[in-house]
Amino acid sequence: MRHRRRRVFAFHDFVAMILSLLWILSPATAEEPKLIKHQITGLFAPDREKDLREVFEQKLPQFKLVSIDFKNAEASFDYDPAKTFPGAKPEQIIERFDNELRNATRHTFGAKPLRTIEKDKLKLIEIPIVGLDCKACSFAVYEMVYRLKGVEQATSSFKEGKLTALIDPEKIDRTEIEMTLKQRGVQFKPQE
Amino acid sequence: MFHKIMKAGSKKCIVFMILCSMILPFPVSAAPIPFFEKHCFECHDSATKQAGLNLSKLEPPNAENFAKWVKIHDRIESGEMPPKGQPRPPVADQDAVTKSLKAELIKAEQDAIKNEPRTGLRRLTRSEYENTIRDLFDMPGIALQGELPPDGSAHGFDKNSDALDISHVNLAKYIEAAEHVLNIAIATRPNPPSVTTRRISLANSGGFVAHIIMNGDGVLLKDKKPDPDFPPAAEQNHIDEGAHERFGSFTNGASVGLFRHEDESVSPYFIEHVTIYPGLYRVRTSLWSFQWDKGQVLPSRGTEAARLSVVQLTGDGRGGQHPSYKLGYFDAPSMDAQEHQLVTWLNHNELIGFNVASLAPVANYNRKGRAMAFTGPGIACDWLDIQGPLHNVWPPVSHRVLFDELPLVEFKAADQPGVRPPQRKQVRQLGAGKNRPDPTPGLWTVQSEQPLVDADRLLKLFLPRAFRRPVDDEVRQVYVAKVEERLKAGDCFESAMRWAYRAALCSPDFLYHVSTPAPGKASRIDDYSLACRLSYFFLNSMPDGRLTDLARRNILQQPHFLQMEVDGLLKNPKSQRFIDDFLGQWLKLRQIAATDPDKKLYPEFNPYLQDSMVAETRAYFRELIEQNLSVSHLVKSDFAMLNEKLAVHYGIPGVTGSQIRRVPLPPDCPRGGFMTQASILKITANGTTTSPVPRGAFVMDRLLGQPPDPPPANIAAVEPDVRGATTIREQLAKHRDNVVCASCHAKMDPPGFALEAFDVIGGPRSRYRSIGDGDPAPRGSIDPFIGISFKLGPPVDATGVLPDGRAFKDVLDFQTLIAADSHRLLMNLAERLMIYSTGRDTSFGDRDQLAAIVANTQKQGGGIRTLIHEVVQSSLFQNR
Repeated sequence: MRHRRRRVFAFHDFVAMILSLLWILSPATAEEPKLIKHQITGLFAPDREKDLREVFEQKLPQFKLVSIDFKNAEASFDYDPAKTFPGAKPEQIIERFDNELRNATRHTFGAKPLRTIEKDKLKLIEIPIVGLDCKACSFAVYEMVYRLKGVEQATSSFKEGKLTALIDPEKIDRTEIEMTLKQRGVQFKPQE
Repeated sequence: MFHKIMKAGSKKCIVFMILCSMILPFPVSAAPIPFFEKHCFECHDSATKQAGLNLSKLEPPNAENFAKWVKIHDRIESGEMPPKGQPRPPVADQDAVTKSLKAELIKAEQDAIKNEPRTGLRRLTRSEYENTIRDLFDMPGIALQGELPPDGSAHGFDKNSDALDISHVNLAKYIEAAEHVLNIAIATRPNPPSVTTRRISLANSGGFVAHIIMNGDGVLLKDKKPDPDFPPAAEQNHIDEGAHERFGSFTNGASVGLFRHEDESVSPYFIEHVTIYPGLYRVRTSLWSFQWDKGQVLPSRGTEAARLSVVQLTGDGRGGQHPSYKLGYFDAPSMDAQEHQLVTWLNHNELIGFNVASLAPVANYNRKGRAMAFTGPGIACDWLDIQGPLHNVWPPVSHRVLFDELPLVEFKAADQPGVRPPQRKQVRQLGAGKNRPDPTPGLWTVQSEQPLVDADRLLKLFLPRAFRRPVDDEVRQVYVAKVEERLKAGDCFESAMRWAYRAALCSPDFLYHVSTPAPGKASRIDDYSLACRLSYFFLNSMPDGRLTDLARRNILQQPHFLQMEVDGLLKNPKSQRFIDDFLGQWLKLRQIAATDPDKKLYPEFNPYLQDSMVAETRAYFRELIEQNLSVSHLVKSDFAMLNEKLAVHYGIPGVTGSQIRRVPLPPDCPRGGFMTQASILKITANGTTTSPVPRGAFVMDRLLGQPPDPPPANIAAVEPDVRGATTIREQLAKHRDNVVCASCHAKMDPPGFALEAFDVIGGPRSRYRSIGDGDPAPRGSIDPFIGISFKLGPPVDATGVLPDGRAFKDVLDFQTLIAADSHRLLMNLAERLMIYSTGRDTSFGDRDQLAAIVANTQKQGGGIRTLIHEVVQSSLFQNR
């Protein structure tokens, strides 16, 4: 059952990626707004969806946020790259978008290309952590982990007492993540 | 300039040589010889030479032995010699010999001085220099004296000509200082720097506080409750300060509640403002206090006090740990925010520092449970606003002093071929300041259509103000000629004038006090010199326009005007400089931080207490002057000037808050007078223990004007016994068994014995504190958050007997005995004021005039303000 669900995710990912590429590469016209999907960093907990919406409403109205897929840390936007980033090459679009988002959020949100690795090749690990019920602390732990090479996606919540990471097992393992957290002062829940 | 200084120095040398030539024949008249034979030679002839004095072979007075002859005179006059137990000489004989000696000594002095001015040529002290620049350019906080070499000290004060030498180092520093002053004074833009207002959280980015509150040494508060977005650090601390900053944890309007004191590793600064443009800034802050109880915010134990200070960033911009100077202590009432506002001058790279001054030093940083396990007081800072730089006019007054109303224009090299543009110093901001410089508007400078005409006009305005007296046309023309020379060499007008101004600020005319004789009265100073003497006495700076005007009208020396001016000067807020500078030296307040009290013996000591001590002494002297109170108040008083910190320290109830105010004392309270103020008691102790010797010597010297002789060579100092086995009195008793020591200690020790009732930091005591043997110590008034480990050792014995046989049972008794001798107290204070204000020591021959000053003061009630007036009205003050 779990195996089949992973396949479905992988298929969606693949489709989304193809669509993104097509939209980005297609010639832009004023009459045809483009729906573009990006992977979003900083979506470490469900309540961050609200924060993300506020950012685009209040600070980045040139990008219309259409939908958020928290499970995949992705969001769809309605904007015309040719207008918003005139002169930018297709491969520079995501970089420019990331800059705008980071600058508007003091680097608490960012964007990167959609994942290319199939989800069934990724491994979900869960690390029980203890700490203050503080959003910034949760963000700090999330940031420590998602920046590691091989971590494709992560969530964290001290309220729930856990950190999750979707990793590429060929590039990173649980021990390395735990080591990183430990070095930065994160404490783990004692094993029951 | 150097030539002038050399010339001035030569004059000084001549005076010195004349004084040295006091190896003059000083024929002791016939009168003393039979007296000495009859009453003195038994102990002081060539065979006995007690105390090293052989009167039979003593040379007539000369530069080396003049002081010895004065002492012989004084001992005979006071009846101290011949000593007790010896036959008393007839009073007539005693009078005759002292009269004879006095006449000879005065004659010798007058012969030595002749018509030379009594006050030698002296330069400005560091603080006089700084204050003069501040007032001349209306730059009230420019910091200069820290860069100048320290001044020496002679006869108790640094204003004395004997201490104010000058070297190439001084000159180099004066040139640097003048450059710095002109850099700040001259406007270099058409409009003032934009005024910005920045609201800063104490947990500001780049500061220490954010880090420590993440670890439980403080909390973020909203609506007087813990900020729900930033729970107090508990078993776990907050992780990653940078992430919290980016998340806006410290900029969401929350107040910062701080428990932790400033210490070696924590310096709370409002680092988001690092001054770029020197000038006046308005600082506002909102403070309140609370009791933290493991997550709950409750009303505090009372009003706490926070300190705001100014810190000069140095090197890499991380700060120098110690405040450059303190802006003050500010009340933080319980649960009720109080706003404080002040306007202060900030120099380049200065910022505002903070400290929870009244709190005990606690650290939750690595403590189990951190803030959630802590119960104790905290001080909350809602915000700090800093607004500035504030300019009423542009160009600023400092610029107008130099260039009057000449227009500022953009310098365009193409329009002025061959003219070098003015130099501009690049401003470099250190640290993490978020304020930014305005865009550079281009190269702007003053413009003159008639450079030499304007140069002459501007220097005619500037030089008399800077030199504090009229300036001859000839002198001015020397400066104008230099401007002309620089213009011909290709300098622009500003640069050429700048050269002249720099030269003026480094000239002897500016750097030295010049006392000109009054017309027709060679011994008196003229009105301009009198204006300077008054101004440097009471304002420690140059005369203002009013004094200068009275001098110009030649009416300042009239008693009526002098009286009015002294009252006016004492009312001037700048007279605080006199209070600070005079007390700093007379009562050694400058040495308040010379010792750090032992932390085990005196754990309650902290910088707030120390600053309160100094504030008490200053405020008390101010009160004595303002209320014209009698001189007996120097040692005994029915009121004290206290804040809460000191009142608790002294055990006096009912005083709340950080501000010093007049507090009535119960009759059995020995506080109030200088002698029992904590500042004096700390200065006269060594940080670990007290000794009656330095304290007694201080009272004898500084309050009674009878300094004891220095200890003989090869006499070991009395070592303190902090183990509590023997008291200092027991140790001194052994010391006094030595005959050489006994006579001086008989005078010195009694005041010190009386002051044994107070510990190293001026707290009251009936038993000595000990870190060895002893009984458990009760906490008393010590803050419950301060751990105590000292014990109570032997009891204190504050009884004693004065050299004249009068006994006292405690310090109150002693105060009563000393306070009764108002003549001696007034004589001493008159002499100190005279030395301080004239920049010279008083001589043997001045004694009669000082006595007249005291007698006149006593006739008018003996008030200290009256004494100051009498000093100023005296010929001693007005003589050269």
